[in-house]
Amino acid sequence: MTVDTQTPILEVRDLKMHFPVKEGVFMRTGKYNKAVDGVSFSIKPGETLGLVGESGCGKSTLGRCIARLYQPTSGEILFRGQDISRLSRKQLMPFRRDIQMIFQDPMESLNSRHTVGDIIEEPLLVQGVGNRAGRQRRVLELLDLVGLPARSVSRYPFEFSGGQRQRIGIARAIALNPGLIICDEPVSALDVSIQSQILNLLIDLQRELNLSYLFIAHDLAVVKHISDRIAIMYLGRIAEIGPGEAVYGTPNHPYTQSLISAIPVPDPHQRANRVVLSGDVPSPIDPPSGCSFHTRCPRATDICREQAPPLALHGAGVAQTTAACHHI
Amino acid sequence: MLEPILQLENLVTEFDTDEGRVRAVDDVSFSVNAGETLGIVGESGCGKSVTAQSIMRLLPQPMGQIVSGHIRFQGHDLASVSLEQMRTIRGAQIGMVFQEPMTALNPVHTIGRQLAEVLLLHKKISKREALRQSVEMLDKVGIPAPDIRLGEYPHQLSGGMRQRVVIAMALACQPKLLIADEPTTALDVTIQAQILELIKDLQRDMGMAVILITHDLGVIAETSQQVVVMYAGKVAEQGSVYDVFDHPTHPYTRGLLASIPRLNTTPKSALTVIPGMVPGLLDLPAGCRFANRCHYCVDSCTVASPPPEQVSVGHSVSCYRWHDLPEVPA
Repeated sequence: MTVDTQTPILEVRDLKMHFPVKEGVFMRTGKYNKAVDGVSFSIKPGETLGLVGESGCGKSTLGRCIARLYQPTSGEILFRGQDISRLSRKQLMPFRRDIQMIFQDPMESLNSRHTVGDIIEEPLLVQGVGNRAGRQRRVLELLDLVGLPARSVSRYPFEFSGGQRQRIGIARAIALNPGLIICDEPVSALDVSIQSQILNLLIDLQRELNLSYLFIAHDLAVVKHISDRIAIMYLGRIAEIGPGEAVYGTPNHPYTQSLISAIPVPDPHQRANRVVLSGDVPSPIDPPSGCSFHTRCPRATDICREQAPPLALHGAGVAQTTAACHHI
Repeated sequence: MLEPILQLENLVTEFDTDEGRVRAVDDVSFSVNAGETLGIVGESGCGKSVTAQSIMRLLPQPMGQIVSGHIRFQGHDLASVSLEQMRTIRGAQIGMVFQEPMTALNPVHTIGRQLAEVLLLHKKISKREALRQSVEMLDKVGIPAPDIRLGEYPHQLSGGMRQRVVIAMALACQPKLLIADEPTTALDVTIQAQILELIKDLQRDMGMAVILITHDLGVIAETSQQVVVMYAGKVAEQGSVYDVFDHPTHPYTRGLLASIPRLNTTPKSALTVIPGMVPGLLDLPAGCRFANRCHYCVDSCTVASPPPEQVSVGHSVSCYRWHDLPEVPA
C-alpha cells in the first residue's frame, strides 16, 4: 500500500494517563489508577488502527486522551507533527475540527431536543463555517453521504433506529472534514444485521474522504475486518501491535493468543481448541509487578514477575509483529 | 438420551402496551432434548427473551400474558399451572441465568445467604447443611476460596465471578433444565470463554438440558446441538446446528450468517447486508415478516405468514420460496 511511505497523521509517544484515586475521610490521593501507562503508536493517513482489549484495559481512556477530552499525565500526542498534549482549550480549537469522535450509544451522544439538522450543523456553527444557506446545503450533503433521506433534517433522534442514529453521529463527525476519527465501540450496541451496514459505511467513507480511524472495540472479528493494523492492550499498555493479518494469524504475545482463541467461531465444525485464561484482569490501581499479564499467563516465570518486558519485533516478513513478552 | 424434556407447542405471548396489544411471541414450537443445548438466536425484539420469560412464567405483570399454546415439562403444562406450583418448579427443576448478574443478585445480602436461600426454599435441609452445599456449589463453578466468598457481597466480585455465583444459584438444586438468557453478553471475551466452558462442564456432569439465548452466532455454533432462529416473534428456521450453519435455508438465516465479519474475511471488503430493519411489533406485515428485507420476496409472500415446512428430518423453515433459493456455497 502507498500509505506506508507517508508521514503519520498521529503519533503517540509514551502516553500516560493516571487518574488520582481519592481515599479515606479526607479524600487524599493515595494511589493512582494507571489507566494508560506508557503507550506509543502511530497512524498514517487513510489507515485504521484497531485497538482491542478487555474492559478496564484503558482503550477508551486512550481514545479520549487523543481527542483531548482528557489532559494526559505525560507523554506526547503529535497530530500532523505538532504536540497537542499540553495545549489549552483555546489553542486546541483548530485541532478539534480535525479530530472527531464517534461513540457507542448514539442516543446518549445526540441531543434529544435538537433536530437532526441542528445536530449535524452544530460543529459547522461552532467552527464558524460558511453562512446559513451554505451550512444547510452541507447538512443535506452529509445526510446523503451517510445514507439518510433529506427529510431527516427536521426530525428528532428518537424517531430513528439505533443504526440510523449511528449514521447521524457519523454525519456529525465528518461534517468538518476531519483527518482522524476516534471510533469508540461504534457498532457494539447494534444488532448483527445493522452492524454490517455501519461497518460498510465507515469503510466507504474512509476511502472517499481519506480518513484515518482509531477503531476501539472489544469485538475481535469486527476489529479485524475494519483495521489495517491492530494494537492489543492489557492493563494500560500495548501487549502486541502489528498488521491485522499478522496479529490474528501469527500472534506472538501469549495474551493475544488466548484472546484470539477465545473468540467463538460461527462454524460448528471448528469448535475451538482454546487456551482458556484463568482469572480476571487485575485492577489498574494495583497492577501486578513486572509484566502485568504474568498473573494469568501460562508461560510466566520469575523474570516476568520482576521485569516489565519491552516491546520488540518478533517473527519475520508478513508474520512480523511487535510484542512485549520475555518468552517469545 | 434424546427424549424431549421440554416441549413448546404453538406458544403465543402478548403484551398490553400504551399503543395497543402486541404479539411478542407468535406460534412458537420447539422441543429441548434431555442433556442437550438448544440455542435461540435472533436480534433485539425477535421474542427470544419473551419466550424464556414465558417458560419461566416470569412475564412482566400485568402486561405480559400467555394467550395460547402449551409448555410441556415433566408432565406439567407450564402455560397453565398455578403460580404456586410454578414456584416449586422454578429454581428446583428449572434454573435460570440472565445477562446482567448484578440485577440477579441482591446487593445487600451476602453471597452465602442468597445461595443458601435457594437451597432452603426447595430442599428440606438444615441451615448448616445449606451453607455446606453452598460452599460446594461455589467450588464447582470455579470460585477460588469459596468459604471466604460466602461472606462477601456481590459488589466485591468481578463481573465474571458474579456470573459464576448466579450460575451456582441456578444450579444449586440440580435442575433438569437451565435457561441462560445472554449469559455472557456483558462479559469480556476471555471471561465469556470461561463461563461457556463452565456451563458445558456442568451440563455434562449433571446431565441437564440448556436453553441458551444469544444474538451471537459464534456462541451458538460453539455450544448448541439444536438451533432456533427467531425473527419478529416467529421461528424462521430450526434444526440441528449443522443444518442451520451448513445448510441455512431461510433468507434471514442466510443474511445473518453472511453479514457477520469473520476472522478469515478480507479486511475492508464490503460485508453482505440485510437491507432495512426489523418491523415494529405494532405494525407487523400481514405476510412473511421478513418480506420487506428479503431479496426473494414475491407478491404471495406478503399475503399470509408462511407455515413451517420440513427441509429434512428435524430441519424446518418458514419460507414459501425455500425451494427456489440458490444453493449456499460450502
